[in-house]
Amino acid sequence: MVREAHNTQGKDLMENNLYFYTAIILLGLCTAICRAGYFLFGHHIPLPEGVRSALRYAPLAALAGIVIPELLPWHPIDGPQVDLRLLAAAVAIGVFLWTRNGFLLIVSGMVALWLSRWLFGL
Amino acid sequence: MRAGLHAVSPGLIALAIWGVVTGIAMVKSGLTETQAIVMSLLVYAGSAQLTALPLLAAGAPIWLIFAAGIIVNLRFLIFGAALHPFFRDLSWRKRLLLGYMSVDVSFVVFMPRFADAPKKGTFEQHWFFIGTVIASWIVWQVTSMVGIALGAIVPVSWSLEFGAVLALMAMMLPHITSRPILISVMAAGITAWLTQMWPLRLGLLAAVVVGIMVGMWSERRITPKAKT
Repeated sequence: MVREAHNTQGKDLMENNLYFYTAIILLGLCTAICRAGYFLFGHHIPLPEGVRSALRYAPLAALAGIVIPELLPWHPIDGPQVDLRLLAAAVAIGVFLWTRNGFLLIVSGMVALWLSRWLFGL
Repeated sequence: MRAGLHAVSPGLIALAIWGVVTGIAMVKSGLTETQAIVMSLLVYAGSAQLTALPLLAAGAPIWLIFAAGIIVNLRFLIFGAALHPFFRDLSWRKRLLLGYMSVDVSFVVFMPRFADAPKKGTFEQHWFFIGTVIASWIVWQVTSMVGIALGAIVPVSWSLEFGAVLALMAMMLPHITSRPILISVMAAGITAWLTQMWPLRLGLLAAVVVGIMVGMWSERRITPKAKT
């Protein structure tokens, strides 16, 4: 029995690894396709202006799609949540607008999170 | 090559910071150190790595992770189209390798210097580019490893994985330069907020589609003539 339990756990891990490394190889492929695609096949692919302007909006929309659920998570039962991360992010945005410095954005956001947690005793 | 190294050096500082942040974020999202190192070496794309981490943690389907990787890398298609005339005469192997290793910084320092060059694809241009690419690769990998090592030491209670979210924000904000882009980002954000309970994190896809549609619509509405 013990051995069986061990085995299933090992299998689980292997599957996780399979999932992870499949994803990683495909992400490597993403890098290659987007960066080297034009280098390799540039003679054959035109990039019309319409497509170009549509492509301009996609990356930022995707980043917003990742960032927002991290800042404003939605609990399966309790619904929308607000926590100190949102406050920290607001401080970080303010600092960026003021200094135009991406590094300070990260530092101030982290410090704001730590400080506010300490202040609110969380 | 030396000119390339010289031109790229300020950019390398920024790259080093991203590298450390990405390294820490990978470990703090639950990757083992081996997994994080393989990811860094193989994917070699900070924004795609940071984007993929929450998706991997949530067990999102592989195809969605692939699609997200393509979308955040789309800017390189545009860079590639601009750089292509300079490298068209190289063998396909060299083009594949140089393309794969090219990063934002190399594009940013290369184009202003050579965009108006009368002759494209010279020895000087190639080596300038190679210099920026090699330096960026080394700095990125070394600082990522530093971040991975740090990530294993720093306690969870510091919430350093939040640094990855902040890093993504730092990537976004400088590019929000016009009203249509701002409206597009806000629409994508609201969509992502409303759809985050969708299964498989499909809300991400909805956010991209809405972001593009709203962006193009507001571009037409707000700036009927302006083309950036």
